[in-house]
Amino acid sequence: MSAERIYRLLLRAYPPDFRSEYGREMVLLFRDQCRESDVRTLGFWAAVIWDVACSAPALRAEAWHTRGRLSTRTMGVIMKLAAMLTVLVGVLGILNAGVEWGAGVTGTIGGMHALSLVLGVFASGLLLAAGVAVLRPTQQGRQAARLALIASLVLIVAARLLFPWMSIFSQLVGIGLPVALLIALYWPRKHSTPSWGSTP
Amino acid sequence: MPGTRAGRGGYIGYYIEYRYIEEGAMVTRRRAGRPPEAYLPLPPATFHILLALADGELHGYAIMKGVAARSEGTVRLGPGTLYGSLKRLLEAGLVEEGDERAAPERGDERRRYYRLTHLGLSVVRAEARRLDAMVRAARRKKLIGVRPA
Repeated sequence: MSAERIYRLLLRAYPPDFRSEYGREMVLLFRDQCRESDVRTLGFWAAVIWDVACSAPALRAEAWHTRGRLSTRTMGVIMKLAAMLTVLVGVLGILNAGVEWGAGVTGTIGGMHALSLVLGVFASGLLLAAGVAVLRPTQQGRQAARLALIASLVLIVAARLLFPWMSIFSQLVGIGLPVALLIALYWPRKHSTPSWGSTP
Repeated sequence: MPGTRAGRGGYIGYYIEYRYIEEGAMVTRRRAGRPPEAYLPLPPATFHILLALADGELHGYAIMKGVAARSEGTVRLGPGTLYGSLKRLLEAGLVEEGDERAAPERGDERRRYYRLTHLGLSVVRAEARRLDAMVRAARRKKLIGVRPA
């Protein structure tokens, strides 16, 4: 097997994008090195392998981070859908509480039940406001959404503790949705600092 | 014009997409306006590559030879380290690609040439000043530049 063929195999350690961009140039440079060195020595191959071992993992890690940055747009679309779902859940929560209140007026409705319904209406209203705030991707909008989601979560939990009128589905949506959105809103955002990788 | 895309993803959807793109553009503008000192300190290999390119447009092998000669063999760049550094320098806007042509001294396949940008030149100057200040400080403390007794 020729030295160049071995080097082409070693190039597979690099990310595909990097290989397609610089692979040809690297092979040309390796060819130059082969012309001026004795490729049959251990020292030559030790230097080649050391170079690949030092540079390839760092470039792989960088490629992985770049993919993460590209997914920011995907994250934006997911946040948009989540915000729309939050608005919908908020509206449905208010309507549901209204229907339940209407049903309760004809029959008997306890004090705790009434209080939990009121808390449910407030929680749904806050969810609706949080959804609208997330749809405005400004720093103030994000902060308002966080506060509204925390308040909504507290009210939903309080309503659930006061009177267990919620179905399992409503509990999962009412608690799970604000928690998921809060995680997404508090997720650390990447900063662009100059990075030189792990070059020697 | 936001309204023209309202049919595909809706106005709100387009507005959000627009804001995210705008944020990305702001990051690019911030990077472009970064002072040379923000890129410091440079790793030795990166500094040597920029120093080699201060002579003018060079291809990969010429950079490698120049670095080895200038550092008296203490810095030896392999193809992976060299092109990894060049990729980062290109992305940071410190280096740009020149024409692709056959090297006159080698006369074989066409090679890609690289040259410093204005920012790259400012950064290598800033790094040289930083290193010079360190050397002067070491000299003031008589750590270098004095004959051993």
